[in-house]
Amino acid sequence: MAQWLSDWLTLSPQWEWVAYLTVALLQAVILLALVMTAVALATWAERKVAGRIQDRLGPTRVGGRFGWLQPLADGLKLFTKEDLIPANADAVLFRLAPYLSFAPVFGVFMALPFSDGWVAHHFNTAAFFILAVLGLEVFGIILGGYASGSKWSLLGGMREAAQVVSYEVPLAFSAMLPILLAGTMDLVAIGEAQRGWFWNWFVFHDPFTFVAFWIYVICAVAGTNRAPFDLAEAESELVAGFHTEYSGFRWSVFYMGEYAAMAAVCGLGVVLFLGGWNGPIPVAEWLFGPASSTSPIVNFLSQLLGAVNFIIKCIIGVVFMISLRWTLPRPRIDQVMSMCWKYCFPLAALAFLGATLWVLMLPDGLLGQGHPKASTCEQSVMVTVERIETP
Amino acid sequence: MNVIPGVDPEDFSVTSETEVRTEELLINMGPQHPSTHGVLRVVLRTDGELVLEAIPHIGYLHRCAEKIGEKVTPRQFIPYTDRMDYLAGMNMNLGWALTVEKLLGLEVPEKARHLRVLIVELNRIASHLVAAGTYGLDLGSFTPFVYCFREREKILNLFEAVCGARLTYSYITVGGLMADLPSGWLDQCEAFLDQFEPVIDDLHDLLSVNHIFVKRTAGVGVLSRELAVDYGCTGPVLRGSGVDWDLRRDGDPFYTRMYRDYDFEVAVCRDGKYPQPSPPVPTEAVLGDCWHRFFVRMVEVVQSVRLVRQAIEKYRLAEGDIGQPIKLNQKLPPGEVYLETECPKGQMGFMIVSLGEAIPWRVRARSSSFCNLSVLPELCRGCLVADVPAIVGSLDIVLGEVDR
Amino acid sequence: MTGPDGMAILFWLFAIVTCGGALVVVLSRHIVRAAVGLILSLFGVAMLFLLAGAEFVGAMQLMIYVGGTVVLLAFGVMLTARRPLLPLSTTRDQWLAAVLLACPLTVILVQAALSYAPTDSVSAQVDAHSGVSTPVGMLPVTPARLGMALLGFSQDNHRPDGGEVSHGDSGYLLPFELISVHLLVVLIGAAYLARREVPSGMTPRDNQGQLQ
Repeated sequence: MAQWLSDWLTLSPQWEWVAYLTVALLQAVILLALVMTAVALATWAERKVAGRIQDRLGPTRVGGRFGWLQPLADGLKLFTKEDLIPANADAVLFRLAPYLSFAPVFGVFMALPFSDGWVAHHFNTAAFFILAVLGLEVFGIILGGYASGSKWSLLGGMREAAQVVSYEVPLAFSAMLPILLAGTMDLVAIGEAQRGWFWNWFVFHDPFTFVAFWIYVICAVAGTNRAPFDLAEAESELVAGFHTEYSGFRWSVFYMGEYAAMAAVCGLGVVLFLGGWNGPIPVAEWLFGPASSTSPIVNFLSQLLGAVNFIIKCIIGVVFMISLRWTLPRPRIDQVMSMCWKYCFPLAALAFLGATLWVLMLPDGLLGQGHPKASTCEQSVMVTVERIETP
Repeated sequence: MNVIPGVDPEDFSVTSETEVRTEELLINMGPQHPSTHGVLRVVLRTDGELVLEAIPHIGYLHRCAEKIGEKVTPRQFIPYTDRMDYLAGMNMNLGWALTVEKLLGLEVPEKARHLRVLIVELNRIASHLVAAGTYGLDLGSFTPFVYCFREREKILNLFEAVCGARLTYSYITVGGLMADLPSGWLDQCEAFLDQFEPVIDDLHDLLSVNHIFVKRTAGVGVLSRELAVDYGCTGPVLRGSGVDWDLRRDGDPFYTRMYRDYDFEVAVCRDGKYPQPSPPVPTEAVLGDCWHRFFVRMVEVVQSVRLVRQAIEKYRLAEGDIGQPIKLNQKLPPGEVYLETECPKGQMGFMIVSLGEAIPWRVRARSSSFCNLSVLPELCRGCLVADVPAIVGSLDIVLGEVDR
Repeated sequence: MTGPDGMAILFWLFAIVTCGGALVVVLSRHIVRAAVGLILSLFGVAMLFLLAGAEFVGAMQLMIYVGGTVVLLAFGVMLTARRPLLPLSTTRDQWLAAVLLACPLTVILVQAALSYAPTDSVSAQVDAHSGVSTPVGMLPVTPARLGMALLGFSQDNHRPDGGEVSHGDSGYLLPFELISVHLLVVLIGAAYLARREVPSGMTPRDNQGQLQ
């Protein structure tokens, strides 16, 4: 694309980097716009779902009957609010923290495939990269809690640190199962491995993946600091936790981070367990034939259908997280920690072991039909050796 | 009191050498904290998340109510009682009115008696709904709060139809009530009760038997029978510790005869069981913990619904009028009188010393929330920071009543 | 050489981030700011790995160094700091020791950097599927290959030109295990250092904070 732009503008080779930079910025802006749209929709959905659950209407005034423009109004209000920095705060870190919290989540979307061809950057270790980057979000929150110079914030930051660092372990463990089943960390390949009917989705692959999926759900909710695991900001205990002292724009950046993280973990879960861009019924294959069609229009349509599938699943996931928040009370910090280490972690480890054995013992599945990509460890070793042998 | 198994809170005052070093923090909870139910300030001394000490500071809402009572006539004082426990203004009105009536040796007509029962029990439901809803909020569950307030709104609509006010009613007055019920009101009230009863089950599902809720409240802030009695705790806080004591049944005859032909059960745990219908007590719950204090209120709501239904029937059958309020400047007979009534928060007592004038010489209010709050430092020792809102919420204090 | 290409710009950007972060670590007298500097520096290194096409190592760098170590560091700092925003003081001896250590390291690193023969950046093949560019003659670095190398099946001892797989080679598994044991020791040591030391004759009440 950079090459095309540079050719089009007939730039001399010395100025090629301008084209490169422009394209890079353009792509970043598109991705940012995408994330922002997701955030805006998520905040709107949060208000609407909360309203419905609570026998209210939610926003109805701004932007027509359903309050579509409420996120815009919220944003406008937040941007015009006074940005306070407490006298006790470490001003540099205080300013830095919200961006440190948002940037990693933005990074996740870089590696998250929306359909088999639509991905900002195709990492061959995308699953691992996303898990690594998601874990960084916590640092902004710790920093915000620490730099605020408030005791409530400090307690919130400390809780967050303990919670997120703990829940990363079972989260990664449960994410290992689809990686194991597909034999790759490439999210595009993992998604492709679940092509076909919905029983090909990894969540229905065997009982262990089903357990792992729910562990993933719990850990994803905990890892994104959402209720009922929102201990870092528990408003009835810690006032507002780590963002007690934040207001206006910086506060909204924290919130953008939270909602974007919601969308990100839902996206990762959808690709890992719920078939990614493959619908429950393989309509796409009937309509467009096998993948890599020659016609660009057919290809585009098939990609679009995949992306729509993916986004619908993500929305279901986000709405599920929202309804959790408005239904359940909040556990205590020691209960959250013991839940992680006493239940989630051993269960995830057992599920991992079980899935390994399942693949080893029943490589073709219970009914002998088999999974297209599921391979035993032995087979994957052989495949890898072959790959190495044939450059 | 000890909420972490195997950890004695006393251990934390004597630091052992092997312990990981953490800072002791003094944290100021309130007066603007979201879960202190008003302007309560609690200073917490914590070691990380562990509370070593909790000291409540009160007085932010002190409005000299008692002193004002010594400057105005009893009927003029009624609006000030509204502002003590502002969530149960009717009960406050009744307490004051009964005390003055006891001094005057006045008894209200039958119809007024049943109307009073109807109104105060409705207000008890409203107050307990706030307690249950805000308790859910304290534990991070927002939705039950909205459900409770939705139901409370309906009660407030009924009150508004009766007396024109939604919070500070001044409806029950010395010698009777300010006005009779408007036409059609009893049907509305019955319709409300019919649709309200299933909502109680919803609230049980969302709170009382919810797994996380039980985990958060069962075994937390255990108040023993003896401690509850020693600190003068009353109301649901006392009954939550298993003490079978309700002034509507055990109180001053001048008060209990108001309820003389009513059928209700005292909401208290007997042999591990509460008056039915109510869900079973979870196995984790210890008598006297936050769960029991919360649950007593939920059971009381059911009993209050029963009482309201009976009161509606009795009111319909009763003959005569609803009594005549005493004159604004009626002379009080000299003497001293003290009467406690069972309010939603506990026993609210008013004392009047009269020298024979229209204005009492001394007025004193014994507030239940004040005594219930005094037990907070005992309950919070050795709990976690997250338990403090759980404990404060389970005591269900109203700062207007604490400070008066 | 023509003008700088995009990769070079990004390289310089992240190189500056890395070095700048490192400078903050060294020069900041504020321990949490130093930790943030360390994060930036490690993050820059991770990005450089990603630029070089070593995605697995880059993600590893993010997860282990930036994610794990620094979060733990921040956590430890918060637990041990007497009060927020405690400045660090470095004695002259410590400076001397640091300089003595840093100088030889610098010499070694500079020498290593200079002795590396620059490859021709033009002859890179671009993987059609993943878009990752790797120098000609080298296979794309995938986690599968890394895993095989860990177990002894590396490209070095298993040539595509028909060489045998040498089964006696343990690969990098042993060093890997050694490193993990080493990290465990470091963790225990950190916990030991963080434990409370109460001087005799002083009760913990003496150091309780004051309410502002």
